[in-house]
Amino acid sequence: MADRFVPGDRVRTRSVDPAGHTRLPRYARGALGTVVERAGVHPLADDRARGLPGAAEPVWHVRFEATELFGTGDHAVTVEVWDSYLEAVS
Amino acid sequence: MSRINDVGGVVGFPAVVQEPDEPPFHADWEAHVFALNGALIKAGVYNLDEFRDAQERMDPQAHLAASYYERWFTAITTLLAEKGVATPAELGG
Amino acid sequence: MSSDHGSSAISERVRRVEALLEQRGVIAAGEVDRRIEEFLAGGSPANGARIVARAWVDDGFRDRLLADANAALPEVGLSMAGGIQEQRLKVVANSATEHHVLVCTLCSCYPIALLGPSPSWYKSEAYRSRVVRDPRGVLAEFGTTLPDDVRISVWDASAESRYMVLPVRPAGTGSLSETELAALVTRNGLIGTALL
Repeated sequence: MADRFVPGDRVRTRSVDPAGHTRLPRYARGALGTVVERAGVHPLADDRARGLPGAAEPVWHVRFEATELFGTGDHAVTVEVWDSYLEAVS
Repeated sequence: MSRINDVGGVVGFPAVVQEPDEPPFHADWEAHVFALNGALIKAGVYNLDEFRDAQERMDPQAHLAASYYERWFTAITTLLAEKGVATPAELGG
Repeated sequence: MSSDHGSSAISERVRRVEALLEQRGVIAAGEVDRRIEEFLAGGSPANGARIVARAWVDDGFRDRLLADANAALPEVGLSMAGGIQEQRLKVVANSATEHHVLVCTLCSCYPIALLGPSPSWYKSEAYRSRVVRDPRGVLAEFGTTLPDDVRISVWDASAESRYMVLPVRPAGTGSLSETELAALVTRNGLIGTALL
């Protein structure tokens, strides 16, 4: 299946709070960022934490401006985000 | 879920303290806990994400009060009981 | 902080659980000791330093390292395949305008193969909570002050990659050999909490 994103794409992280283990940190939920690159293909950790094999999906480095995450700061934070945690921004 | 481990951006934690010439382990049992976890994952008793999950499921106050390898040992014994490898009584303190 | 009594209690309990698992054949006898020895003999910041020194003297290696670190590591005799599974490595290069710093906010992910055992501060709530929000403030606690026009870029190891910072080569080191250059590289420099 073709990748949903390419570097430079604008994306938004989901704002859901899944039950159980997840790898989308709270501070980076519902936030607008930019895809830096694809960081491999891995089963979703949320599934593996339940003892399930999990379907492999792309993982992305997504860069966020500190102002987007915290409302303040002149730095950037890059988070590694599974494809399922992301929504495309048109 | 927003669990106690998910601390990125949380306000109020103190300044970072470095320990000069810090050893890899501060006690022999820490090394054993470290190696035990690797052996159990290798043996397929549980996977690394189940191990992370088990640390995150700790009571939040107990999680924060515990040292790094105390959390590991809690996760190991939690999973050993849940997977039926040993009874809580056998694993008890 | 655990008291001596608390420490001996958990020590005793760990010993008991380990013995039980060996007795039931869940883990092999002696495997724990073997793993401890392996771990202590394994990763060290000297590995990361070797990579950095090569990148400083060899632009081609530097380019390959930044493009695909896993493919470049064998050139200096290293790999990320030593653990439970091969980990993807991403090397991020500091420059005159950008400074990188690493964290794992959710747990304690760290490139042990290249940096050795992680320091307690890296695993602390204090570091993990604050460095994403206020990296300049946290770096100051390490005695690291960056000019205002240097952009800070924090990398949160929230999935499967591990990261390493490629520090800026210190000025006045043009005559040093690769081995001498490697000796200038510190663990905190490879995490991004220190300059060299």
